[in-house]
Amino acid sequence: MRTRWYAVSGGVSQRCGRGLSFTIGMMMALSLGNAAAGADVTYAGDDAWWKPGDERIMPGRAEYADATGRIAVVNADGAVPTKGHAFFARVGANGRACVTCHQPADGMGLSVDTIRRRWAESGGKDPLFAAIDGSNCPSLPQADRASHSLILERGLIRVYLPWPPRANGGAGMQPEFTIEVVRDPTGCNTDPIYGLHSEAPSISVYRRPRPVANMKYLLELPHGVPPSEFLFYNDKSLLPRNPQTGAFVSLQLMSDGRDLTLELQARDAAASHLQAHAALTAAQVAQIEAFEKQVYAAQAFDAAAKDLDSEGAPPGLGPEALQHGAPARLGNNPINRIFGSFSMWQTGSELPPAEESAERRTQRELRESVARGADIFYLRRFLISDVGKYNDKGLGNPFKRSCGSGCHNTLLMGMDLAPGFMDLGLNNLPWANSRPDLPVFKVTCDAAAAPQSYLGRVIYTHDPGRALITGKCADVGASMTQQSRGLAARAPYFMNGSAANLRELVDFYDRRFNIGYTETEKHDLVNFLSVL
Amino acid sequence: MINPVRDRRGVKRRRLAGGFAGCVAGCVAAFAATVAGQPPVGAPVSFLACPIARDTGPDTDVCFLAEHEGRLYALGNPPDFGAPQLKHRVLVEGRIADAAAACGALPLVGRVSVMAEIDQACDVILPFDGVIKGAAGGVFNSGSAEQRAAAQELARRVALDPRLSVEPAILDPAPAPLPTPPFEPRTLVIWYPFDSDRGPGPDMVKLRELAIYAREAKARGVEISGYRAVSRLSDGTQLVERAFMAEARARKIAAILEGIGVGPRLLKVRWERDAIGGTGDEDWKNRKVEVTVRP
Repeated sequence: MRTRWYAVSGGVSQRCGRGLSFTIGMMMALSLGNAAAGADVTYAGDDAWWKPGDERIMPGRAEYADATGRIAVVNADGAVPTKGHAFFARVGANGRACVTCHQPADGMGLSVDTIRRRWAESGGKDPLFAAIDGSNCPSLPQADRASHSLILERGLIRVYLPWPPRANGGAGMQPEFTIEVVRDPTGCNTDPIYGLHSEAPSISVYRRPRPVANMKYLLELPHGVPPSEFLFYNDKSLLPRNPQTGAFVSLQLMSDGRDLTLELQARDAAASHLQAHAALTAAQVAQIEAFEKQVYAAQAFDAAAKDLDSEGAPPGLGPEALQHGAPARLGNNPINRIFGSFSMWQTGSELPPAEESAERRTQRELRESVARGADIFYLRRFLISDVGKYNDKGLGNPFKRSCGSGCHNTLLMGMDLAPGFMDLGLNNLPWANSRPDLPVFKVTCDAAAAPQSYLGRVIYTHDPGRALITGKCADVGASMTQQSRGLAARAPYFMNGSAANLRELVDFYDRRFNIGYTETEKHDLVNFLSVL
Repeated sequence: MINPVRDRRGVKRRRLAGGFAGCVAGCVAAFAATVAGQPPVGAPVSFLACPIARDTGPDTDVCFLAEHEGRLYALGNPPDFGAPQLKHRVLVEGRIADAAAACGALPLVGRVSVMAEIDQACDVILPFDGVIKGAAGGVFNSGSAEQRAAAQELARRVALDPRLSVEPAILDPAPAPLPTPPFEPRTLVIWYPFDSDRGPGPDMVKLRELAIYAREAKARGVEISGYRAVSRLSDGTQLVERAFMAEARARKIAAILEGIGVGPRLLKVRWERDAIGGTGDEDWKNRKVEVTVRP
């Protein structure tokens, strides 16, 4: 059972169990009234799962328990009544809503813990497990738990993309490579109906839902990366444009950049993930877009470090820092250090050891660990090498940077501002973690095509990534970096869920780049990432 | 001198034999030989070689050098022309510079191009030798004077109030004043790495300024001319760029100009089918696009 929290403005908070339903009910009644009025009252309701079609009020600020404390979700425009709201309503045939995969309690993403809980609570009947993409393949027996192993074990949704790629969803293009299915543990890529050689050839890859929060940082064109407000940093070609307005778009929205705007993403998701028979109306799209643009999420409380967003805490923590922060700015400088200063947590004990309580010592030690982790994230340089679409975009191979001064350079958010599609090694062999549960494709590029810079023209991959959109050999395995906020609420990590927890995430980087972090450094990094 | 070793994943890496001590001895000896018999300042060199990366300290960037006919040459480029990459050979085209040694090697002025094809043999990283120290790069060190002054002021304030550390330290540059009459023909030359249509970032900033100039000058035409070239190496070998490269460069610049507001009817796009012949001296200057605004 999920532990639930409520908190009243002023920092008083209590942990409650389900047995206190009356108290909770009273609190909810009070809170709903206050939240509806936009007052600064926070709570989490008696059910952390937001069911499609629920008629509730999403408060102006709510906190939800997660792996290490609580995540806070802020609606900058005030409380949101969900009745009839297009983000929360069942708009498709399979009973899902946008909120199905973008849960407030998971920082507007979806954790595998939540997924497993829904499976247990619904007996596998929740629309989240819809055959179309909540199972490994629609052709599998849906009552069988094993048919949903990827979503249950790794939090992965099936994403099926046409082959050959279609430019902006339109006419097919001639890709620079051919693709073969080498291994197909889900059966979907060789399926006669859903596979690569079916009547409607498509490729199934398996990806994590990205959080729908802090969107202004993803949508605004980058500042300070001249002349990237209209050009890719990588090859200095023009960024694509919003087909409605003609404005250049940032491409930060999706891991493969296939939908250029919130509107296009909403329409695509409704048609695919929600299986909507009719297109979203303009009013529905506007409502979804308006909601998504004003919701912020970040960790607000850590069980050991305590309040993360109170007076005197590091200024980059908590959702309000994101709400009021300047979007799309470089933070890889000695002042900003990506997430701001943590110097206030480096101070050590002000009390003699005998006078320091155990709880106070635990808090201090955790905060000091976080501050050390921030230093490692920002200062500890290592050789970044053989990253396709990164080392080859002019930076050099190897390129010596830290996590923060390299790929995770966006102020307060920690994604690559450039914008950065890159092959970190998550999808392509030989760097990818061992994943016998995922398909393996063999990509063979045309001799005349520019090769993937470090893997050449024959590439084995779990997910061709950006190349399934552009058809370019050099893009095979590349994906867009993603934001680093609210991590504690939405494990597992990486686009294919390869890291079950933050320690595994740190271990991947340590192995991939031969960094040589000590155990203490890894511990500090995990603690640091947990409070973002 | 160079032996392959394997890293923790078993991936082949090559280090200098004898480890750190061997590297120091080898590098110093090679550079001493280089200095003793070095060609005169201004002498042209043009060669293909594997780049060698050199670690220059825990807090600084790597630098690159290459060995050619027993001499070590430092591989530098203008900003964003493209730093060398291990796993790829580089085409080095330059002249011996009248400057101090860089990266423990002879300094050059010219251009270094990363060759597109993979060469697994190019995989040598020299460890930090404690002597050759580098500089830390990063955007904080490379802004305009106004940006750096603003950042220094913010740093002073952040020291007093850490809450300010989430205010952007790197501010947008002030918009350049609009060009004013008299409007004369203006030309921008963009040089390219070998077999590449990737224009450097600073040139793209100039291209944008040129687009604004064209708009303000109510240009009658914008001429774009693309070229490809032959590079003649010091050993007489000739490297010829791919046939479509001149067209690709010209069309890409035209697309960018149109994309940032230059009317397509103003654009006059042409390219030379034949590669410009090389002499072995600054052949990189023939790999170019010329953009001329005619008011």
